[in-house]
Amino acid sequence: MILTGTEIAREREAGKLHIEPYEPQNTNPVSHNYRLGPVLRTHSSQVIDSTGPQPLEDFVIPPEGLVLRPGRIYLGTTVEEIGGSDYVTTLIGRSSIGRLGLFVQYAADLGNLGTAHQWTLELKVIQPLRVYPHMKLGQVCFWKPVGEHLSYTGFFGQHSVANTAPPHTSPRTGNRT
Amino acid sequence: MILTGAEIKREHASGRIRIEPFNVKNVQPNSYDFHLGDTVLTYKDVELDVHKENETEETLIPKDGLLLTPNKIYLASSREVIGSDHYAPTFGSKSGAARTGIFSHLSCGLVDIGSHGRLTLQLHVVQPVKIYPGMRIAQVIFWKPQGEITLYDGKYQGAEGPQASRIHRDFL
Repeated sequence: MILTGTEIAREREAGKLHIEPYEPQNTNPVSHNYRLGPVLRTHSSQVIDSTGPQPLEDFVIPPEGLVLRPGRIYLGTTVEEIGGSDYVTTLIGRSSIGRLGLFVQYAADLGNLGTAHQWTLELKVIQPLRVYPHMKLGQVCFWKPVGEHLSYTGFFGQHSVANTAPPHTSPRTGNRT
Repeated sequence: MILTGAEIKREHASGRIRIEPFNVKNVQPNSYDFHLGDTVLTYKDVELDVHKENETEETLIPKDGLLLTPNKIYLASSREVIGSDHYAPTFGSKSGAARTGIFSHLSCGLVDIGSHGRLTLQLHVVQPVKIYPGMRIAQVIFWKPQGEITLYDGKYQGAEGPQASRIHRDFL
């Protein structure tokens, strides 16, 4: 079952899910809007090695905005810490953003039970698009799971800075990320 | 919980799910297939800006097809009016469309409870692909909510055709 906006607010109040900072006006009928943090990172190597080191460059989106260009992946971060142990989080874009040709988290939108952190965002545009720091970028939904909970032991759930996978947890070695 | 096709049919009959027109042959085991409308919108400018009203132009999809190219975002709509005050819909491409490289949204397949209208599809193609009016393009799924329902009353309510982004209104 998916939580309604009213239920998201209620369960957050009861400590069953985590959204910090929380702004009540950002809650929708079945989701909560998150905002884009000001720092973006891009891969600095021309060819990315999916199992090797992945050097990143940081830059800050100025108040007047920054134009994202097609053909590369931008890693961003949510302003909010989001997660919890009682409901499964999924993170998606907002339709208003998708309508401008911005992919958000297009291939890995599932969170893990038991983690709460600022999420790394995977961003890609179809046409050049000017974005702004702290804009409402997407939304998170919360789903009621079935079954007992295992504790999360992965890598990304402990990190609130935009990150790529460390080499030792690469798809080739098959370790969990 | 996700609704089965039989439950979608039942809840449509009881008025708790809206799909117009409704045809039982589009009911799948746990989704409902819907169709592409007759028009697409594209933005006039190449470079878009979240803070601005980005102007669009409308194109009729000819009977013999419209060629989509990878460098553009196209906004289309469902032929059906879809919505529910009781379930949260999500949608995604039919696997047949996805296998030709058609995205029907770019990461937001969620429809708010209480939103009723023709769904705006965010069409993007990986390789050039021709689309046709009325083709079976995507499917809608219905999810049971937990908690008190507050209905959608937002800026895209009652859409008759594809709607461009109105995000700039957030900044007025």
